[in-house]
Amino acid sequence: MNEYLKGNYELNAKIEETGDAEDSTEEFERKALSRLGGSICFVSKKKLIWNGDQADGAGKKDR
Amino acid sequence: MELGRRIAKTLEAATFDRVAAVGLANAEQNRPRIARSVLELAATPLGAGDSALVVGAGPSLARRRSLVRLRESDWPGTIVAADGALGACLRAGIVPHVVVSVDPHPERIVRWFGDPRLTEPAADDYFRRQEMDPVHRDDEVGANRALVDLVDAFGPKIKVAAATSAAPAVVERCEQAGMDLYWWNPMYDDYERPDSISRRLWEMNRLPCLNGGGNVGTAAWVIAHAVLGKRRVGLLGLDFSYPPGTPYEKTQYYPELVELLADRFAEAYTHLENPHVGETWFCDPAYFWFRDVFLGMAGEADCETLNCTEGGILFGDGIAFVTLDEFLVGRGGGGE
Repeated sequence: MNEYLKGNYELNAKIEETGDAEDSTEEFERKALSRLGGSICFVSKKKLIWNGDQADGAGKKDR
Repeated sequence: MELGRRIAKTLEAATFDRVAAVGLANAEQNRPRIARSVLELAATPLGAGDSALVVGAGPSLARRRSLVRLRESDWPGTIVAADGALGACLRAGIVPHVVVSVDPHPERIVRWFGDPRLTEPAADDYFRRQEMDPVHRDDEVGANRALVDLVDAFGPKIKVAAATSAAPAVVERCEQAGMDLYWWNPMYDDYERPDSISRRLWEMNRLPCLNGGGNVGTAAWVIAHAVLGKRRVGLLGLDFSYPPGTPYEKTQYYPELVELLADRFAEAYTHLENPHVGETWFCDPAYFWFRDVFLGMAGEADCETLNCTEGGILFGDGIAFVTLDEFLVGRGGGGE
């Protein structure tokens, strides 16, 4: 984007970029959407119950 | 794709943002109170046979007089209620074997168990506005007082499947009412990732992580078949939607949708015709997501799921749609 916005003058002040505007919009949207979410997560493509890794002998019941 | 469905597709991540931090903080605070795993519930005395009814707090409960009909049937199976449906159950003369509580909200959820500290209408209009338990809408303080008495009277007969994310105020209230608590962790993320929060939580308390499906009703259904081992699971009050004619301002997420979308808020609602009852119900994006997730989970579950709500939008592959009366006499679905 910056290469298309070249001016024909020099600025005295040094402007530091604080981050991509798209990122902050995305962050705002994500924050706003979080208010529409549920009361417990859903993790897709995972078991209904996970009780530790079976290999360490701790797991009792996995479905 | 319409706006409501587009928003619904983002809610898996949005829910993590909403509940993870407070849920984990509650897990830390609840830690000294954890004595039993939810897996121990299956060995406790519950209802007879391999059938369970999962009771949510949707509007079909009152519309179809489902709980009165259930009480009159003397059905002997296991009843697993979402916390929001506890009051309706007790008022109808039904004492659930298990009540499930998940939501980490610091103030609201304790009201489903009767909040002894409430002496005047709360500033938060959640209970007056929403549709889940209409008695709170008409007389918030009086309804709460009556529920305190009911929960105090029947608490010792009720087991609570408590998520570690539950608000400490809820845990305290359940203990005070003499309820036995059986604990589990909500699954927050992919436990196979080395940096997984679910894995860290399990390492902290060694409790099983349950995939909750976005809401307490779906979590109750998971507990009914995957923890209690019930093979035939009926659904009551799991509507994930609002009946025809419900004003938008009486819906769960109305204030948030107006804040987010201003005068376009109505576009976020999805209307679906239920061919089994010939009515068009509507839902906000969260409820549409809950429905979508539930249908996916039910399609893969090793139990038979029968929707006895006689309303709502939960129909599709993997779910039989039957009347409550058919379910109670063992008819409907594959068992017919």
